[in-house]
Amino acid sequence: MHETYGLLEYMPSVFRALGLTIWLSWLSLIIGAVGGLVLALMRTSGWRVLSVPALLYVEIFRSIPILIILFFFFYGAPLVLGINVSAFAAATAALSAHASALMTEVIRAGIESVGRGQWEAAQSSGMTYGQVMRHVVGPQSMQVILPPSVNIYIMILKESSIASIIGYVELTATGLLIREAHGGGFAILGIIAILYFIVCYAISLAGGALERRMKIAGSGLHMDGTR
Amino acid sequence: MNSFSFSLRAIVPYLGELQTAVLVTLAMSLATIGLSLAIGLVFAVLRQSRSAPLRWFATAYVEFFRNTPLLVILYFAYFMMPVIGLRMSPFQSGLVGMTLHFGAYMTEILRAGLIAVPHGQYEAGHSQGMTNFQILRHIVLPQVIRTIYAPLGNQLITIILGSSLTSAIAVNDIAAWMQTTGSDTFRYFETFLIAAIVYAVLCQVINLTRIYIGRALFPDNR
Amino acid sequence: MTQAPVLKIDTLTKKFGSRTIIDGISMDVTPGEIVCLVGPSGTGKSTLLRCVNGLEDIQGGRIVFEDEPVRAHSKKIIDVRKRVGMIFQQFNLYPHLTARQNIVLAQVVVHGVDRRSATERADELLARVRLAHRADAYPARLSGGEQQRVAIARALATNPHMLMFDEPTSALDPETVGEVLAVMREIAEERRTMLVVTHEMRFAAEVGTRMVFMDQGKIVEEGVPRELLAQPRTERAQRFLQSIRH
Ligand SMILES: Nc1ncnc2c1ncn2[C@@H]1O[C@H](COP(=O)(O)OP(=O)(O)OP(=O)(O)O)[C@@H](O)[C@H]1O
Ligand SMILES: [Mg+2]
Repeated sequence: MHETYGLLEYMPSVFRALGLTIWLSWLSLIIGAVGGLVLALMRTSGWRVLSVPALLYVEIFRSIPILIILFFFFYGAPLVLGINVSAFAAATAALSAHASALMTEVIRAGIESVGRGQWEAAQSSGMTYGQVMRHVVGPQSMQVILPPSVNIYIMILKESSIASIIGYVELTATGLLIREAHGGGFAILGIIAILYFIVCYAISLAGGALERRMKIAGSGLHMDGTR
Repeated sequence: MNSFSFSLRAIVPYLGELQTAVLVTLAMSLATIGLSLAIGLVFAVLRQSRSAPLRWFATAYVEFFRNTPLLVILYFAYFMMPVIGLRMSPFQSGLVGMTLHFGAYMTEILRAGLIAVPHGQYEAGHSQGMTNFQILRHIVLPQVIRTIYAPLGNQLITIILGSSLTSAIAVNDIAAWMQTTGSDTFRYFETFLIAAIVYAVLCQVINLTRIYIGRALFPDNR
Repeated sequence: MTQAPVLKIDTLTKKFGSRTIIDGISMDVTPGEIVCLVGPSGTGKSTLLRCVNGLEDIQGGRIVFEDEPVRAHSKKIIDVRKRVGMIFQQFNLYPHLTARQNIVLAQVVVHGVDRRSATERADELLARVRLAHRADAYPARLSGGEQQRVAIARALATNPHMLMFDEPTSALDPETVGEVLAVMREIAEERRTMLVVTHEMRFAAEVGTRMVFMDQGKIVEEGVPRELLAQPRTERAQRFLQSIRH
């Protein structure tokens, strides 16, 4: 009884920290999406000078733990570049780098899901590469891109917990601090886990609903009802 | 003002510890994949169960651990053990956390593998007079292994990368080596680079081995 | 000379929930008979075969195969299945095994045949269905007609006392239907007992020794195939035959 009361006192700071976690992961997702778009266009460009570096980027970030990338930005970059990097900046950079690698593959799959016929039809009507992407391929590929993007967001949100390791006080770090202030125990970490669960699960439910709606909307693409 | 110079000399004395750290990472990852496979099999079967409470329980397990950060689960396991009176090494409580987390993903992989075997396969087996066990052993499992083989390989890589987080609860793996060596020598950049290369090599070796073994096992590459 | 029936079905009732799918069917199959089961879609033909194989439990009546009562989930059902070969519309070959291995498997694990003789038998049967050259191919690499011929060889491998076919050519491209029917004709010439659900009326007329017309879970009419096809007595059979001729 006493313990629960004690923990309740900390709830305002826990919710503030949850806000920071969401902010950090959103920012990283947006930067990651932009980076992923550029890399995916490089990947699908058909030019080796562009597609090979993009492929390397994706492969590297897929086979190195995010923790190392984080440490690299936080401890390594200041030494190499001689600048100071805040914990928030390092976490954002690391998460964005990872998110962009993941988004590259998703966006590439989206672009490739649009058949050759669409390219040929659009180009034969005189559209430039940019116009085809923007008006024809982009809108059609969204159906393939959006659902996995939701999963990537959830992944980045969970991954943002590692920012606590370099001392950025987001949700996980707040849990650890409260635990110490409160003299040990593990209940607060359970509460933190449940908070993460509620947010991530809600997002995944929303993502599922979005996916279903897009499927219905997508089936309208063909007037005769075939797919 | 940029006085950075690249030098590996300071790292050399720490390479022996790196070797041990690699073994710890590998042990943690292999133990995790074995245990999470066992847990996953149980929950995959429970998710198909006729009993609604069992199905609900299995779904709750999967959804909870897929929607919580591994790091938080690791802290939770690490701090819980002494409180509930279990004396566990960091490695052991790390393994508990890893298994709980990855068991949820493994459940989904195995379930997908089970669902992918069409009903007609069971019927064909029955019509030939096979017992349930013979059907499982000769018809269903070989097909499940085929479907889950590639995702299982990817999962092993995810587990290796994820195991780096156990350094936060004092497991002496590669990531922990990187942190101590980095702060001892102040050669952060070099140590991070070495750690990154070690992880990348491990992942690529596993990836290539998987593809190579896969070709040998499943020559029809279905 | 009347022989004892291989299969006796006596006022069989099968329900799914409250829906009665098979409604008091009685019929016998004697050795060497080739019974063709025809009727509109959804009438319960597949369900009847599945009941005979103990793949479905039944709600009333009795099925006896060679003195062995057929009951799903009973221990003895395996003894029945060992003596009945079943060929499915969707072939149901084991995709992880080659054509030859598909034929070997049940011989070895169910019937305890040693692997060498089982393999020899498989090769002999593959030659008979004219697929000796495809012995090492996996099902995914075989055409539909080839898969179905392997499935027939698989069913024959253990010398079943009766073969049941459930629309064996319905899932095939028109060009490959002929090759499967040809194999079935050859098997029929050996005077094997067969229970065949089919929409191939020419095959039924030429090969069948008896035709059973089913509708809505009941046997409506039966007789010699040529006669039944030429002059159906009931209005329902007339309508059905009319509809499949066009
Ligand atoms: N497992 C099941 N649960 C509920 N209903 C079923 C099941 N299996 C079959 N049915 C129903 O039983 C009826 C008879 O099905 P069955 O497959 O035996 O027909 P059929 O005569 O073989 O038809 P077809 O010529 O289309 O193969 C159908 O209405 C079908 O919907
Ligand atoms: Mg049928």
